[in-house]
Parts: sequence; structure tokens; C-alpha cells
Amino acid sequence: MTKYKELSSLKRKEAVFGWKLVSPAVILIGVFILYPVLYNIYLSFFEVSLTPGQSNKFVGLENYRRLLTDPTFWNSFGITLLFVAITVAGSILVGLGVALLMNKEFPGRGIVRALILFPYVAPVISTVFAWQYVLMPLNGPLTILLSNFGIMDITQDVVNNPNNAFLVVSFYSIWKNFPFIYLMILSRLQSISQDYYEAADIDGANGWQKFRHITLPELYYVLGSLVLLRGIWNFYKFEEVYLLSKEARTLPIYLYQTAFTGIPDLGVAAAIATVLFIVMMALITVYVKKVLKW
Amino acid sequence: MKKLLVVLLVIFISAIVFTQSITFWHTQVETDRQQRIRALAQIFEAQTGIKVNLVPIEENEILEQIPRAVQAGTLPDVVEGGISPILLLGSQGFMDTELNAKIIEDFGDVYEGVSRLMRAPDGGYYGIPFHAWVQGIWYNKDLFEKRDLGAPTSWYNILTAAKALNDPANQFYGLVLPKKADAYTEQVFSQVALSNGAIPIDKDGNILFNTPEMIEAFRFYKELGKYSRPGFTGVPEALNAYLNNEAALVFYSTYIMDDIAVEEVQKQRVENFNPQLVENTGFANLMINVKPSSYGEVVGLGILNTSKNKDAAEQWVKFLMTGNNYIYWLHMAPGGMNPTRSSIAEMDEFLDNPVLERYGKDQITTIISALDTVERFEFVEGQIIEEMSVLSGNFVVGRAINRMFANDWTPQQTAQWAQEEAEKLLGK
Repeated sequence: MTKYKELSSLKRKEAVFGWKLVSPAVILIGVFILYPVLYNIYLSFFEVSLTPGQSNKFVGLENYRRLLTDPTFWNSFGITLLFVAITVAGSILVGLGVALLMNKEFPGRGIVRALILFPYVAPVISTVFAWQYVLMPLNGPLTILLSNFGIMDITQDVVNNPNNAFLVVSFYSIWKNFPFIYLMILSRLQSISQDYYEAADIDGANGWQKFRHITLPELYYVLGSLVLLRGIWNFYKFEEVYLLSKEARTLPIYLYQTAFTGIPDLGVAAAIATVLFIVMMALITVYVKKVLKW
Repeated sequence: MKKLLVVLLVIFISAIVFTQSITFWHTQVETDRQQRIRALAQIFEAQTGIKVNLVPIEENEILEQIPRAVQAGTLPDVVEGGISPILLLGSQGFMDTELNAKIIEDFGDVYEGVSRLMRAPDGGYYGIPFHAWVQGIWYNKDLFEKRDLGAPTSWYNILTAAKALNDPANQFYGLVLPKKADAYTEQVFSQVALSNGAIPIDKDGNILFNTPEMIEAFRFYKELGKYSRPGFTGVPEALNAYLNNEAALVFYSTYIMDDIAVEEVQKQRVENFNPQLVENTGFANLMINVKPSSYGEVVGLGILNTSKNKDAAEQWVKFLMTGNNYIYWLHMAPGGMNPTRSSIAEMDEFLDNPVLERYGKDQITTIISALDTVERFEFVEGQIIEEMSVLSGNFVVGRAINRMFANDWTPQQTAQWAQEEAEKLLGK
């Protein structure tokens, strides 16, 4: 890279002008992204006081020590990884399946395509209430239906049971988010040249072979990006989980409860957020290099 | 013309700058209640020129809002909340104990029984008792008479009735028992434990979840669960189940009184109004095992130390607790919200209400008088146990019971879990 000093005067002016153009964005990123991140890291070394007039107390790495020796944290960490794995894999499989179906011509396809988007565009709070209602013990329509098929016991309260609330929330998340995946995959599917399939037909390839050797490689980077995006989003997913069942104790819920319930521990909460940030950055870096090959 | 515009602008700007305003957090989140509070705030503003910013917050979430507001510098001037949030705010030094005490003194007629629940250990009061309810068992008297069952006051009678009346084949259950990890479960369990002489923390700060009395209370609660309507019931489901005639007994506060008695209120919950329900419903306001115990909640108003408009806050508190304003507030939930000032309780205007009339002056007086004997985990031998608000804020009791039913834990396992959780939270 050429040093600033070595540039001609015109190029220097251009460089300054370039900085002037990007400076609003740099300032905004600094104020709204960098500052909160750095302030959070700073707070994680303090015992944050809530009492008016009493300042924060520096505790060094004590918050991290407490956090990393707390079994509840590791338990929530495990649940969160499982939640991400189930929801990302689930929503991609469902989204892919639906996109492949919707890529075929059939009467009324436009309406069906629009209807599929419903879970994604409906507000979280209304869909959460709908799920709580349909899964109520005794009177919930889905509970009644599933119990008629012998799949579940009509007296079960699956949403509020701490043992399986996490699974209910995972299913909800797949249902809520697969339309986004479907939309992305469908748009890519439509841009795959038909020539490939025609050539494969001439070679006598069957449907599965065409899917495996043409469709899937063409979708590789879309799927790779979707796994990355959904992975990040679901790792931090709060509102869907918290609203549906407070018993699904994923890390964001654990963080929220540490920060805001009883006598809150904002220092430890900041340490949790920092650990999450570091873990996520490491995972993203490896993923981007190995899978997306950027 | 220009001059006039300038004058108007100056008036407008000074009106904005000099208008005092206070922020009021309250836990009355229902739409009809919010309308009433808005009306009161408007009258107050018209009378005093002080604007009140109303912030409704769910009862279960008020404790979570406090630290967020502390960090953001958006704490209210006045807060309305139950004993736990008031105690938590008080113990963290947020409450103006002197000003709260002065207001109680100025009124001069606040019931001693309820104000002791808000007394700060170092003098003064964390809050001013605003309104109060009593919890007990509401039950179908007809069924009890038909089966010749005794009133559900003793553990024996409660269990016998729940067992005898439980008929799951016909979708009718002995009782509705809360099992969610929330405040409602803690309230119901508190009465069970207290009637067995069990408390989670004693006055020396020892945690007592693993005592034989407490384990016995968990055992009884679990036994009741066998005859309870399925589900990890919360407040709305419990109310609906009783009004829908799906259960013979329900643990509920006096807030149920309008749902039972008033057609319009009942119809908001269930399809058909049952006019006989009010006559057929009995109320057991105490529970006995080794000792009698009644349970209730006092909702207080507290002025915060951080308030910059303490005069305005004081005026607002006094406005809310005076004459017709007070009665207008209390009538938003007749029976549930009982006055804490004797002069108001005796006013004819207070009893002039379709719900209170149906229950009659005697019953209302009985309910209010029960407040003098109310027991809570937060008070032991006249001393406030501030640490209890940490356990309540983290729903330790609710979570213990939730896990006991979900994992089929024994009472001993449940007690042990609660003990360890409490020790962890309190750093012991």
C-alpha cells in the first residue's frame, strides 16, 4: 500500500475527500457500535453499583472467574449451541424443501408463495400467543389433535415445562424463520440456468442426481451465508424465546436474568456479553474462512 | 402580528420549560384500569399544573425494570408496587423513607397492620400502603354441602375436598394449583408454608428451605397437585377454570370478587354468566395446619430518593389517596383493592359500588380487618427480611415448585434445590 506522504497532491486531496465522505459513517459506527462494545468490556471488570451516589468497584477478572465456574452458565451455553444447531438445520431443511416445491409450476402458486411468508411477517407477539393457545393443556386445538393421534398426552403443558420448553421454542423458531430461508433459496433457484438441467437430461441423470450435482453446488454459497446469518441471529435470539417460554434457558435469557432480576449483577452480565462476543467472533472467523472461503 | 407571534412563542416555550412533570410507574396494566389512572392524572394536571407521565409495568417485571432505569437515569418519581419491589428499592437506598413517613403521619389514619409491612428498619417507611388484598381459597359451597365436606381451611379439609371432588373423566378437577415459576406460585405456597410454621429465611438470615416444616409444606403442595387441573397454571388460567366451573377450589386473591359477581366482568372471561356463582362461592381466608395463617399483599406508593420533584410527587400521592380520587382508584378492582385509610373504608361512597354491595359491608370489613393479621415470608417476628425480596425477584419458590412437578422431584429434592439456589443468590 502506498504511504500518504508518497502520494501526489491530487491523490492526497482525493484521499482526504474520500475520508470526508466516509467520516459520517465512521462516526456513526463509532458512537453506536464501537462505544457500546468497548463500554461493555470495560463494565465487565467492575462490580456495578445500583445505589445512587456509589461508584463502581474495580474487581479485575473476578466477574469472569465467577461466570466460568458457574454451572448454570455452561448449562445455558450447551442449550444455546443445541438451540442454534436444531433451529439452523431445521429451518434450512424446511426452507430448502419448500423452495424446491415452490419452484415448480402449479395453479395458484403465487398465492401459496405469499401465504408461506406469513409466519415471518406476522409480529412475534401475536404468533407467540397463537402457539401458547394451540398448545394449551386440555383445550388447546393442537394438543387435542395430537392427543387424538396418540402423539401426546392431553394433560401435558409442553410450553411451560422446563424440560421440553427448549424444544417447543426450537420448533417455533424453525416455523417462524424458514420463510426467510425459503425466499433466499428460491431467488437463487430461479437464476440457475435451465441449460444445465437439459444437458443432465440428455446424459440420463435422474432427479436426485440433478439435485446433487447441479442444484446443490449452485446453492452452496447461498446456503453457506444463510447458515452464517441464522447462526448469528439465533445465537443471540431473545424475544422469541423469552416471550414463548421463560423456561427455555438459553444464554441470552440467562444474561437478561443476570442483568435484570432480583439484585442485578450488571458486571457479570457484561462479562457474559463479552464472552458471547468473543466466542461468536471466533466461530464466524473460522466459518467464513473454511466454508465461505472468503 | 410578529410581536404577537413572539409573545405566543415565549408563552409556549415557558409553559413547556416551567411545567413540572413527574413519572409514575404503576402495575395496573389492564386497559380499563389504565383509562382510570389516565383520567386521574388529567384531573391532577388540571388542578395543579403538574403533568404525570404514566408508565404501566407488569407486576412480574417491575423488578427487572429498576436496574435498567438506574443505568439509563430514568427512574420514576413515584412507584406503585407490591411489597417485594418496594422492599428491594428500599433496601438498595432508592426510597425517600422520611418523606414517605411524613405522608403517612399527615394522613394519620393509615392502618397500623399494613403500614408495618413497609417500615424501614432504620426508621421511616419504604412506601405508603396504598391498597391491599387478601388471598384465600374460593370454593363451590354447593358441592361442599352435597358431599358434606368441611370448609377448606385446614390442610386435612383442603386435601379431602380436592380428592373427593376431583373428577377428571368429566373434565372437572379438585382444585387449580399454580405451578409456574412466577409470583403467583410463591404467593400460594407462602400460605401453605406459613400455616405449617415454615419460613425460608429467619431473622438471623439463616436459610431454612431444608427444614422438616418446609419439606412437609412441599409434600402437601405436591399431594394437592395430584387433584389439580393439568398444566403449569398461571393467574388467568386459574381464574378462567373457576369461572368455567372446571374446578371446585381455587387459590385466589380478593381480586376475583368482581369476576364472580358482575355480569359484564365475568363475560369478559367466560361465555356464559352464572348469576348463582356469587351465592354459591365461599371464601376461606385462612389456612391451618400447625397454626392459622392468612396471606395478603399490600401495594404501596413510594417516593424515590432520586426524584427531582419531591413536592410534586408528594402532591400526587396525597391526591391519589384522598376522597373521591382514592375511591375512584379503588373501584377499578372492587374487592381486590381495599383502602388502607380507615376514614375511606368507612365512607358510604366507598361501599357504593355494585360489587361491594353484593358482598355487603360485613364481608368487606372482614377482608380489610384480615390485613392486620397477614403473614409474609418478608416479615419474621416484626422484623423485615430484606433478603427475601432477592429470592422473590428470582422466583426461587416458583422455580422450585415448577421443577418439582416437571421432574417429579421428591419434596426433599425440591427443598434441597431451593436451599442451594437461595444460598447461591444470597452468597452464603
